[in-house]
Amino acid sequence: MPEHKDISPPELIKDRGSLHPINHMKESIMELLTSFGFEIIDGPEIETEEFNFDMLNIRKSHPARQMHDTFYVENKSNLLRTHTSPVQIRGMLEKKPPLAFISGGKVYRKDDDATHLPMFHQVEGIYVDENVSFAQLKDLIYKIINSLFGDDVELRFRPSYFPFTEPSAEVDILSKEGKWLEILGCGLVNPVVLENCNIDSNKYSGLAFGLGIERIAMLKHGVTDIREFYKSNLDFLRQFK
Amino acid sequence: MKIAYSHLVQHIDEKPSIEQLSSSLLQLGHEHEIEGNIFDMEFTPNRGDCLSVNGLLRDLAVIYTVELNQEIYKGKLDKLVMDFENLSQDICPKISFLKLEIDKVPDTYIGCLNKYFLDLDLKKNNFFTDISNYISYETGQPTHCYDANKINGKILFQELDINQEFETLLDKKINLTKKNSVFLLNDEVINLAGVVGGKTTSCSSETKTVFVECAFFKPEAIIGKSVKYGIQSEASHKFERSVDPECHDMVMRRFISLVNEHTNIKDMSIIFNDFESNTAHKIPVNVKKISQIIGCNIKKDQYLSYLAKLGFAIDDDVITVPSFRSDIKTQNDLAEEVARSIGYDNIVKKDLSISKYKISNNYDIESKLRYFLIDQGFYEVINSPFVSSSSDMSIKVDNPLDSNREYLRTNITNSLLDNLIFNERRQKDSIKLFEISDIYISKNNAIIKIRKLSIIASGRAGHNYEDFPKKITTKSLTKTFNEALPNENFDFKVLNRGSLNSKLKNEIIGCEVDIDSFSSDVLNYKEVTKSPNDFIQYRPISDLPFSKRDLSFSIKDYTKCQLLEDYMMEFKDDLLKEVFIFDYFLNEKKSEIKIGFRFIFQSNKSTITEKEVNDIMSLIIDHTQTIEGIAIPGME
Repeated sequence: MPEHKDISPPELIKDRGSLHPINHMKESIMELLTSFGFEIIDGPEIETEEFNFDMLNIRKSHPARQMHDTFYVENKSNLLRTHTSPVQIRGMLEKKPPLAFISGGKVYRKDDDATHLPMFHQVEGIYVDENVSFAQLKDLIYKIINSLFGDDVELRFRPSYFPFTEPSAEVDILSKEGKWLEILGCGLVNPVVLENCNIDSNKYSGLAFGLGIERIAMLKHGVTDIREFYKSNLDFLRQFK
Repeated sequence: MKIAYSHLVQHIDEKPSIEQLSSSLLQLGHEHEIEGNIFDMEFTPNRGDCLSVNGLLRDLAVIYTVELNQEIYKGKLDKLVMDFENLSQDICPKISFLKLEIDKVPDTYIGCLNKYFLDLDLKKNNFFTDISNYISYETGQPTHCYDANKINGKILFQELDINQEFETLLDKKINLTKKNSVFLLNDEVINLAGVVGGKTTSCSSETKTVFVECAFFKPEAIIGKSVKYGIQSEASHKFERSVDPECHDMVMRRFISLVNEHTNIKDMSIIFNDFESNTAHKIPVNVKKISQIIGCNIKKDQYLSYLAKLGFAIDDDVITVPSFRSDIKTQNDLAEEVARSIGYDNIVKKDLSISKYKISNNYDIESKLRYFLIDQGFYEVINSPFVSSSSDMSIKVDNPLDSNREYLRTNITNSLLDNLIFNERRQKDSIKLFEISDIYISKNNAIIKIRKLSIIASGRAGHNYEDFPKKITTKSLTKTFNEALPNENFDFKVLNRGSLNSKLKNEIIGCEVDIDSFSSDVLNYKEVTKSPNDFIQYRPISDLPFSKRDLSFSIKDYTKCQLLEDYMMEFKDDLLKEVFIFDYFLNEKKSEIKIGFRFIFQSNKSTITEKEVNDIMSLIIDHTQTIEGIAIPGME
């Protein structure tokens, strides 16, 4: 029989916590994009109509501006940003091209049901240089999606509409069940937006893309109810170590 | 919008199958679901021109040979003398009226009108309204029919501030308030422009004389009205996305033709009111620019051929945009037309390389803090900023979702307290949470952003035999944090449990710190935990109560300790959620190890029963009884 000095106590398993799965996903995407050369920039969640809509070519009559879609604060003097695009506007006003920015964070829309929440997360990117083309945008999107979902994933580009990009596209991936799932929106920066930011649209062009973090996290982790992310239930959070 | 496959394919020479047509629609950017033989279309908001059979066929013409061969009345039309005045010509720059008188209201429908109701399984209304609805489906232009015998005075169109009850032709009473574009008859609203007509002048199954109104309203005047008044209106959906301002003659003549197909027209006359001259938008041909935008070499012939098929006119290297494409303004818009025609998936990708930038310092500090906290057993949470209570510095949401979410939070700690109570109610005995977030406050009429870290902890120090007996205290947290990050001030405090509606007595320890107050020394911290490389497949969690059991052993044969530990830690059962060693003691005098295991059971389906737990525990105990040299005190 061994002496007590030969006995080692059981391994002391220290409790470790975990990053929130949404922030983990956001961090993974930001890390991937910085490895491509994008610079991280940040901006406020409380924005002006000018930066959230006007500068992005979203006309005064656009439905998104209405009280049933956008949260306004302090007697309509400001709003809760509905996307992270205003951060890119601020970035373009500060720096001259060539430029490559990404911004990630919380955005707000007036939705509240099983598939939509009034607060969710986006990562958006923009690249402005001479002769940026749709074919290059496709290359970047393939790199992003292949990094997230593997090289074998099948994807398709569909024409879409965003006031701040033209041409615009939505990108779907084919799920294991054979269903096309929308993953991100992208396009070439609308020349109007470049001009709004004092960038000569005859010389420069740009590409832009935006991903909804919750949607990707739900797909990657197999979470079916978006509300689970925000209950702060330890049984849920412990699974993402 | 629902469009029948047969209504499209009858105009297409190639007769594509529904699957082929579906694929072409997606290539062109028209998302849809297929329900039997019906496409349930979801158009992007810039493509109001596609909200009809003909509109969609105009787009499909870039892929297929399309023949729009619907019959239209080609005869001469008398001028209608009508008492009408347009007092808001900026909002309605074009409006036409057609007066029709028929002999007899038809009993049945034939041809495309019949197929429309049959194929789409629609409910009929009255003859003129049914034709109006069909015309909208076929051409995209909403029209409105007034029973001419109910019009006994001058019709006025005007945008005005109004406060009047209005009964729609769908028998719904609404209170019109503030600015609205309306048609008035003797000061009474008879039509909420671009949204829905009124009851008092609507057509019935008896109507034989009708005024058909065909208008172009500026989208800005219509947007939001149907939502404001809770009216589902196909007309407003189209006007909000803009209709073709130049289609009135064709639409009215098609209307006449359809009426003619069904009954004898006794009298007809028409008036077109144009208050704005037509100015077609023109863009110079620039193939080089189009090739540069798309990123591939586009041949001029190919480019112009695509545009011609889509209805654009080309003359002397100038492209004239058709009146129905109000969305086309720039070379980028034209590039999208070409890219859609080629198919986005057929555009070959081109390598993109971007020169590298450096990650900012703040991002690093936050990241380090996160990993430091995770190493200490803390879980990151994210909370909504909307709260019910306010302080002097709170920012008020003008249009909250409800009264419980009227303000933006001015601290994170209160959210974490809610999270703590949520978990305590789920029997969690060791809770450690943190959140990093921007907080917004109002001070001297300015909005100020502060980025904060908030930490909260309560209950047992941890789930291992060293931490299990210890409670989290201000002292213990301060010590741990100071040892790891000696130059940072966390200032832990005991938080008041009084207002939390909780019977537990555990101290709640917390702190809230500005991220800016951390020094770059944080960057020197060497984290232990690494992010998972792969994404974990989530297992649905249970909100049902759990049950716990403790099992302690006395071990004389030390060699069996590892054996026992391995068995316990590797034991698997669907109902066993967690197992850990909560007690370990080596009694040298007695040459004996005491070791205690805690088992936590929970079901995803129903509240776990004593029997279910006992059955699993019996299995475990029976197995351990077979190991010599170990005993369960009290069971020898």
